[in-house]
Amino acid sequence: MKSKTLLLGIGNPIRTDDAIGVMVAREVSKLRLPDVDVEEIAASGIEVMELMLDYEKVVIVDAIMLPDGKPGEIMKLEEGDFSSTVHGASPHGVNLSTAIALGRQTAPSRMPKQIVFYAMQAEDVDTFSESLTTRVRENLPSLIDTVVRELARD
Amino acid sequence: MAGPIISDQKVKTDKKRITIDPITRLEGHGKIDIFLDENGNCKNAYWQVPELRGFERFCIGRHVGELPVLTNRLCGVCPAAHHIASARTLDAVFDAEPTETAHKLRELFYMGQFTHSHIAHFYALAAPDFVLGPAAPYEKRNILGVVEAVGVPIGAEVIKHRHYGQKVQEIIGGRATHPVFGIPGGVSKPITEEERTEIEKMAKSCVEFGKFTLKLFEDVVLKNKDYMALVTNGNVFYQTTNYIGLVDKDDKVNFYRGKVKVVDPNGKELAKFDPKDYLKYIAEHVEPWTYMKMPYFKPIGWKGLVDGASSGIYRAGPLGRVNVSKGFTTPLAQAAYENMRSVVKSLGVTGPVHHTLAYHWMRVIELQYAAERMLELASDKSITSKDVRGKVGEPNEGVGIVEAPRGTLIHHYKSDKDGICTMINMIVATTNNNAAIVHEVKKNAMALIKNGEISPGLLNTIEMSFRCYDPCNSCGTHVLPNGQLALEVRIFDDEGNLRKSLRNF
Repeated sequence: MKSKTLLLGIGNPIRTDDAIGVMVAREVSKLRLPDVDVEEIAASGIEVMELMLDYEKVVIVDAIMLPDGKPGEIMKLEEGDFSSTVHGASPHGVNLSTAIALGRQTAPSRMPKQIVFYAMQAEDVDTFSESLTTRVRENLPSLIDTVVRELARD
Repeated sequence: MAGPIISDQKVKTDKKRITIDPITRLEGHGKIDIFLDENGNCKNAYWQVPELRGFERFCIGRHVGELPVLTNRLCGVCPAAHHIASARTLDAVFDAEPTETAHKLRELFYMGQFTHSHIAHFYALAAPDFVLGPAAPYEKRNILGVVEAVGVPIGAEVIKHRHYGQKVQEIIGGRATHPVFGIPGGVSKPITEEERTEIEKMAKSCVEFGKFTLKLFEDVVLKNKDYMALVTNGNVFYQTTNYIGLVDKDDKVNFYRGKVKVVDPNGKELAKFDPKDYLKYIAEHVEPWTYMKMPYFKPIGWKGLVDGASSGIYRAGPLGRVNVSKGFTTPLAQAAYENMRSVVKSLGVTGPVHHTLAYHWMRVIELQYAAERMLELASDKSITSKDVRGKVGEPNEGVGIVEAPRGTLIHHYKSDKDGICTMINMIVATTNNNAAIVHEVKKNAMALIKNGEISPGLLNTIEMSFRCYDPCNSCGTHVLPNGQLALEVRIFDDEGNLRKSLRNF
């Protein structure tokens, strides 16, 4: 039986700051929050959309790299913020926004009513390492706290 | 549904450099730079990919037994291929021959990967170009546009069967995307009779979906004279290269095990070798402008970015596999192969098919094979045997080669007596195609851009050439907005100064 809410941490645990989402998922998982399922995934696109099915609310946490972002900066993004990226897609299939649109196109009744994204600006995602960079590591507790508060909201 | 849009209005440009960055619909952050001459003709084109740092250093000093799990983290797209290649390599490192049941379970798992991967590629990446057309509006040219055109019920079938491929991997491999079951000499757990019947049921459905996909390809592409003109155009989407792929003892395609076969542009066998001998046949050329090496057939040597029989460049992946082989071991895939041979024969092709867009054709034939082979293996009740691990010897050195969905994948490890990794070398599938992709992009750009006339559809046509190879640039996952880091176009003047940078993120 699925819970009402899903926390989904996206990232690759051996690509330095790409692990942000996975790290948050692992920490939140330890809290055993009621009616919240926690998953981590090192893929995106349709796989992520399939994990979302049949939840009322999904909170996604991932690393982000914006050209002017400061490492460790936390951002909250809504589904609409990705609308401009719904076109040709990525990881060997489709990107996340396209996948969500595909879910709403092919299985509308099973898609969550609310999808919220939290992202932290990464500094390095190209080096193979299991350690986060300093500023990201220092700000991770704030991101975890923010995500836990979001999970408590309806 | 409306017909595809194949060409659009050209737009004149006076820019000397056109950059499409990042390449749409590709894993990773690659870019194509096109340099024009004074007359607005393409002088040069480069395909570049970002550098990933430190994987070798990350692996050395760890136990080699960890490598099937670490190497599959290289990639968010084909972790299963790395996992299986790594397990095959550990078989060699530990001189541990897997039991027949273990081989069957690994191969069954791997057919799930091919089914999933080929469905994703064909419907999400290739179909927008074919169903909607290379010059269809940018915002429509994606899987959403495809589903809109073919109908939601078919879209749901695509998602269902892609998921079946994932589910088979999850049941056997322990996890859907990053498997953990491959160990030296076998697998970590058997499957139950209940799991076998569940896989068998999904495999039956995948065989039917394979038939549907072949029919769709025939209706949309083979029966469309404009597309066939594009597919069989000898100027663009065409290279006379050597080919590489794994074959079984009868020279039939095999994704999981066999010998590596290389043929020349006329189909003549140049080599057939065991994985452990790969360094005698494959060497890697380095270019200063890209970190990705360019492998070539060593006995011929590196002759530059040129095709033809005197060049050492080879192509891997679906086209390579079909061109080195005598077809498939399963009936429906073999029938589709024979049909393909008959169609190309009517076009005067009796040897290897050099038409790059035929990659998509070979891929849908391979999808049929993967589904049929999945059903064969899942129907074999002996696959539930508990005998899933062979005897393991002392660690040393080993090479494992499998066919990843996008081409030949080579892993090579050295271990000390305690099992600690002292050397790791990998030639991944996209790297095996690197020289051919770069050559193809340049050749197409030279043929398709004249007098500064450029249009979005034309540029996408150039992208189509390497989309055929299903290249995977980064062997990484993504960063929000999930790999598709949005479009960046950089415009340089004729002195190389950056005048404008446009981003949609």
